[in-house]
Amino acid sequence: MPDVTLTIDGKEITVPQGTGTVEAARAAGIEIPVFCHHPKLQPVGMCRMCLVEVGTPKMDPATKKPMIGEDGKPVIAMMPNLQVACTNPVSNGMVVKTNTAEVEFARKGVLEFLLTSHPLDCPVCIKGGECPLQNLTMGYGPGVSRFDYADKVHFQKPISLSPLIDLDRERCILCSRCVRFEDEIAGDAVLGFANRGRGWMIQSKSNPSFNSKFSGNTVDICPVGALMSHDFRFAGRVWEVKPVPSICPHCPVGCNVTLDMRYRDIKRVQPRENDWVNEIWLCDRGRYGYHFVDSPKRLTKPLVRRNGVLVETTWAAALEEIAQRLAGINRGYPGTVVGGIASGRLANEDLYLFQKLFRDLLKSSNLDCRTGAPEEAEHDDLAYAFGLGSGSDLSKLGKGTSVLVLGADPEEEAPVYVLRLRGIKRRGGELIVANGRATKLDASATHTARFRYGFEALFMFGVLSALLEAGAENKTFSGERVKNLGMLRQALEPYNVGAVAQQIGVSEETIRGVATSVAGAENLIVMYGREAIAAGTPLLQAIGNLLLVTGHVGKANNGALPLLRYNNSRGALDMGVRPDKGPGYTPLPQAGMTAREMIAGAVSGKLRALYLVGSDPAAAYPQAAAALGKLDLLIVQELFMTASAEQAHFVLPAASFAERDGTYTNSERRVQRFRQARDAVGESRPDWQIFATLGRELAKLLPQEQMTQVGKASAKPAAKGQAKVVTQAAPGPRPWVYRSSDDVHAEIIQNVGIYAGLSYSALRGQAGGVWGRQATHDAIFYDGTSYANTEGVGAQWPALAEQSRLAFDLVFSKPTPVVADGQQFTLVAAARLYDDGTLMQPSELLRFWVAQPYVGLSQPDAQRLGVESGDKVRLTSQAGQLELFARVDREVGVGIALVPDLETIPLAAVQTGVVTPVRIEKVA
Amino acid sequence: MFDFIKGLGTTAKYLFKKPVTVSYPEVKRPVRERFRGRHELKRFESGLERCIGCSLCAAACPADAIYVQPAENDPLHPVGVGERYAEKYEINMIRCIFCGYCEDACPTNAIVLEHDYELSFYDRKSAVYTKEMLLVAPDKGHGEPSPLLLNLNRPPNPPAQIDL
Repeated sequence: MPDVTLTIDGKEITVPQGTGTVEAARAAGIEIPVFCHHPKLQPVGMCRMCLVEVGTPKMDPATKKPMIGEDGKPVIAMMPNLQVACTNPVSNGMVVKTNTAEVEFARKGVLEFLLTSHPLDCPVCIKGGECPLQNLTMGYGPGVSRFDYADKVHFQKPISLSPLIDLDRERCILCSRCVRFEDEIAGDAVLGFANRGRGWMIQSKSNPSFNSKFSGNTVDICPVGALMSHDFRFAGRVWEVKPVPSICPHCPVGCNVTLDMRYRDIKRVQPRENDWVNEIWLCDRGRYGYHFVDSPKRLTKPLVRRNGVLVETTWAAALEEIAQRLAGINRGYPGTVVGGIASGRLANEDLYLFQKLFRDLLKSSNLDCRTGAPEEAEHDDLAYAFGLGSGSDLSKLGKGTSVLVLGADPEEEAPVYVLRLRGIKRRGGELIVANGRATKLDASATHTARFRYGFEALFMFGVLSALLEAGAENKTFSGERVKNLGMLRQALEPYNVGAVAQQIGVSEETIRGVATSVAGAENLIVMYGREAIAAGTPLLQAIGNLLLVTGHVGKANNGALPLLRYNNSRGALDMGVRPDKGPGYTPLPQAGMTAREMIAGAVSGKLRALYLVGSDPAAAYPQAAAALGKLDLLIVQELFMTASAEQAHFVLPAASFAERDGTYTNSERRVQRFRQARDAVGESRPDWQIFATLGRELAKLLPQEQMTQVGKASAKPAAKGQAKVVTQAAPGPRPWVYRSSDDVHAEIIQNVGIYAGLSYSALRGQAGGVWGRQATHDAIFYDGTSYANTEGVGAQWPALAEQSRLAFDLVFSKPTPVVADGQQFTLVAAARLYDDGTLMQPSELLRFWVAQPYVGLSQPDAQRLGVESGDKVRLTSQAGQLELFARVDREVGVGIALVPDLETIPLAAVQTGVVTPVRIEKVA
Repeated sequence: MFDFIKGLGTTAKYLFKKPVTVSYPEVKRPVRERFRGRHELKRFESGLERCIGCSLCAAACPADAIYVQPAENDPLHPVGVGERYAEKYEINMIRCIFCGYCEDACPTNAIVLEHDYELSFYDRKSAVYTKEMLLVAPDKGHGEPSPLLLNLNRPPNPPAQIDL
């Protein structure tokens, strides 16, 4: 769009056409006070606080040209009345005056009116101290009010909108920021106005009330204390909390947050602005799900099993004994009978040291970051090669961008992506949602494709066929960097659009429409979730093929975006906590055992010692619980006493994310640092520290030739020479000595190729950026409750395809759809944000939103079975049985049994694989 | 020599005057009305606490001597008026410089620097005065709430009854 030049308070400024006057003034560093305006929302002009004088060049009616005055400048015709600056777009030659007497008088009037209905209970108001109404009244308001104090509007003091949010209606100034946030940004139209006149108020229109996963954000953007977090209610005053930068540990988005600390307590979690990750938003799970940190159930002391019971011990004794027993078990069969499972919840520093402990000291690659449960799929390597390019910024994408969301429910798996995807669509991009079931994102999509379960890969084949049929492949790109397009053409022959459409239940037009959108897009992002990953290699290969054929790899704003299970699942794969590849995806000569093999090995005796870190297979599926009991040595490092820990020989208490430093890698491969906010609970220690100490203990026990190896691996210059002369007590270059997580991270940078250059200082280097807050009073826009980013925004490691000359082979494999026969149903475990897991349970307020266990059936299926909502049904598979209440759900497809993936439902009892066929019968 | 006698004369003169010193602690000198001594947390005549736990005193305190931990009032068994009260209220008397800023900051006149100046401690811990030590006895009322506070405690109005 062309730029427009205007004058604000005598200052000339050039901004893009269509910019509002408030935004233009903000860019010029001139402050126009606002209440209802918010930079992330559409302007409405409800509060009238931004009144300014506006003039435009006077036009000569005869020549249609600006009239020039005697002084040689255009004559400005000032508008007779004050204008609202937020809704008025700028125009060329416009003159705006923001500080005249008339404007100041109007502001005083507006504030006096706003305060007639405001209770002025600032000393008891939670917003007091970060309240725009307070600030603007101090800045622009009248000293006294001419209205009768006793004649204020009164409502019942806070009413509960939801268990998370309270509403104090008499404080509300009716700016509609919350309503507009929910409508425009979140897409949950759950708030609205009711009544009129002095009875005008905000009301929830949904049942259950305020049913949104983003409700906490309305508290942030509320310019008064009307909407309040129940969690933070009277927890302290806002100026008393000290914000510590951190990263949300709940999902792979990796939202930047601050932990607001008062002495030792986390009082609240607030978003920290980072346009590359979460803009200024945060979901409710991240905002209110921090209570596990100070749960009284946290483990505080190392435990050891003596005579069948776990008793407290000291760290020194526990680690020494673990080292001795591990070394003893490992001695006869180096590397084959010991194994380790660490979950993707740990930080990169922990995961790196964990795999180093096994690979360097125990010579074992029996490592995994899965639990080995039957429904778990292969590790995702697609993002390593074709991941979303470095420098991608979803908050800027719009027209010309297509996002294909495949087999994912972002709202449940990675909620903040919903806001970001909706943003892309709002700015003119295309959003294609292809799923086996209905998700809330369907409502925001430009194209939806609902295929039959088990046919995810076929859908992609159909899109690819349509693309190639239309000759829409990127010929320059595929000519240079794709080796075997012919092979793909041949392989796709049986999968022409017509055949695919018939098989998967999606119309030909839809498939062609998706193909056109994908091919015509300037930028293409393929986001795929848990259900797509479960569909296996053929689908992931097809995604890779689509990206390659259309040339959408290896550049910013293009590529694959997988939503993995945990917040740092990406980091776990990067660090090589997997049997088949080392740190940085380096191939290994020989792969170790996968988690599934380890659990099976525990039963057969192939595995004798297992080290579980933050992973709880015993709770995940019943076979593991039995297997763990057969081990000679089970070490569990955890926050809580989990089912696996109950069986352990040693239980080691770990520090939570708030009690330590470290880095997480999010789904876009952005490495971000979080900081220690408080001291650890009891004697618990950071995971990396436990591994380091154990490493030192183990190194003492290992034979000499292994020590040399250790010296090499630690990659310190003097390592080799000194290692030869070491005595057992003090290994020469002091491997396994790390003073802080910085030391570990420094070693990661040195030894893990893809992390080169991502030092702590580099992660911190970029603070803010072009979108960062302006110097002038941005608290008015953002209300001071979402914090400016002072900790840096992290950095991405480049995907393989970003090396410009690299050429790729297309790979293709045929899918083997596991389709239930006529009588059987396909069991679908639908991801749930509120899963009631160990990290969520201590947050009492959130548990209101945990779904009741149920199995969703389609109307025809329910009729056939003679089942109505509320009836009890039995799910039977080869593995076992499960009884659940049925719910007839319009959104569930025929032949699908949809069960929410909650910790409270022992789904593993029936699951036999990634896709499980089940029989359903009514229980009398 | 003469100076010596003159000096003794002054001594002799004061020997028969009323002494300016008092024999503390048996006798205590009255302090000025605006003397700033140990703090007291006042109540309303109804016995409810004046303090609403707003922490403004702690914010105003130049010595960082005050710690307030607020909590929500139970409407059935209120501790103070309004929605919130101070669950914990502590003043570290060693840190306190008796400047009276807390008194100025208090929106409800709950904290008042009174006339007690006898503050001595055997250890640092006992210098921290808790809410129980600072709060006056329930029967010692200290005036009625301001209209603002009365409004905070008023029964809820249904919106329909409000004049439109």
